[in-house]
Amino acid sequence: MADELDPLIHVPARLRIVATLAALEDGDALSFTRLQTMIGLTPGNLITHLRKLEDAGYVGAVKSGNGAASRTDVALTARGRVAFATYSASLRELLAD
Amino acid sequence: MSEWFDTFSAPKPAPDPYEEAAAEPATPEIDEELDPRAAAAILAQTTERAERELDRRPTFLMLVAAGVVLIVYGALWISVRHQHPYSGPTGWALGVLYGTLAVWIAFYLAVRTRATSGVSGRAMRQGRFEGLTFATVWVFVYVFQGALHHAGASDAIAYGIYPAAAPLLIIGGAAAVHQAARQNWPWAGFALGAVVLGGLASYAGPRAVWGIVGVGLFVLLIARAAQTWLTRR
Repeated sequence: MADELDPLIHVPARLRIVATLAALEDGDALSFTRLQTMIGLTPGNLITHLRKLEDAGYVGAVKSGNGAASRTDVALTARGRVAFATYSASLRELLAD
Repeated sequence: MSEWFDTFSAPKPAPDPYEEAAAEPATPEIDEELDPRAAAAILAQTTERAERELDRRPTFLMLVAAGVVLIVYGALWISVRHQHPYSGPTGWALGVLYGTLAVWIAFYLAVRTRATSGVSGRAMRQGRFEGLTFATVWVFVYVFQGALHHAGASDAIAYGIYPAAAPLLIIGGAAAVHQAARQNWPWAGFALGAVVLGGLASYAGPRAVWGIVGVGLFVLLIARAAQTWLTRR
């Protein structure tokens, strides 16, 4: 039954990333630094998981500013929001059975 | 000598951690086996924490607002309750009003800044414009009070019923429409409650209106805070 859950999200670190980004209002993004603080992952770990989510089109990263003022914001894409909603619904169904 | 200058020169800005992490070799990923129950626990815990940390109007803020309303309207009511003829809130009550308001604004901005740190995007920008619009409306509600006085309205109207009830009717009405358009029913209900309160309290006269609005707003804020708390349990 657990096979029905999206394997891209069904990993502790990625589940935490997606759930945190889903708490933002639609259209908002979170800085990499704040996301790292909230999730408690090392930068290397976080970026590894973010890359997987980006490759799947679930997360988008936008870089702004130049040099020392540069910052990267990450947000769930529309596809990512749908995937997260589907994952949450599947998980609820699975546990209700 | 150069060390001395280094001590007082601006600290070197930290580079973007995303860029730094991206430049490092990829960390080997450990895809742990995850039991659905454990996943549900992580999901609930993370969602609860994220919503709490990103919440711009947390429950405790509503409780503090309820206290502020009671102090401010209570002081205004105490200052006018035995006035015959009515002349409006006295200096000490206005001091309580402006002092409490200044502390409240500083507290609100600190809570909001903490919640929105690192957050950017369309909804954030929209929120800033909405805040600016409501602040402008709020200021001009009181500018209009000057026009009422200038046009010869009695003190009971210009310094009693209007300043106590009009903000609830005007700002509450605008907020009710705005929240209903966003289908944010709890806040739409709260704003509509403020409109009804303002409309009915204005019949109580220039003295009692302050007390009724204060107690009414206090009850509305406590009810809204309780509703938020119960929803998140």
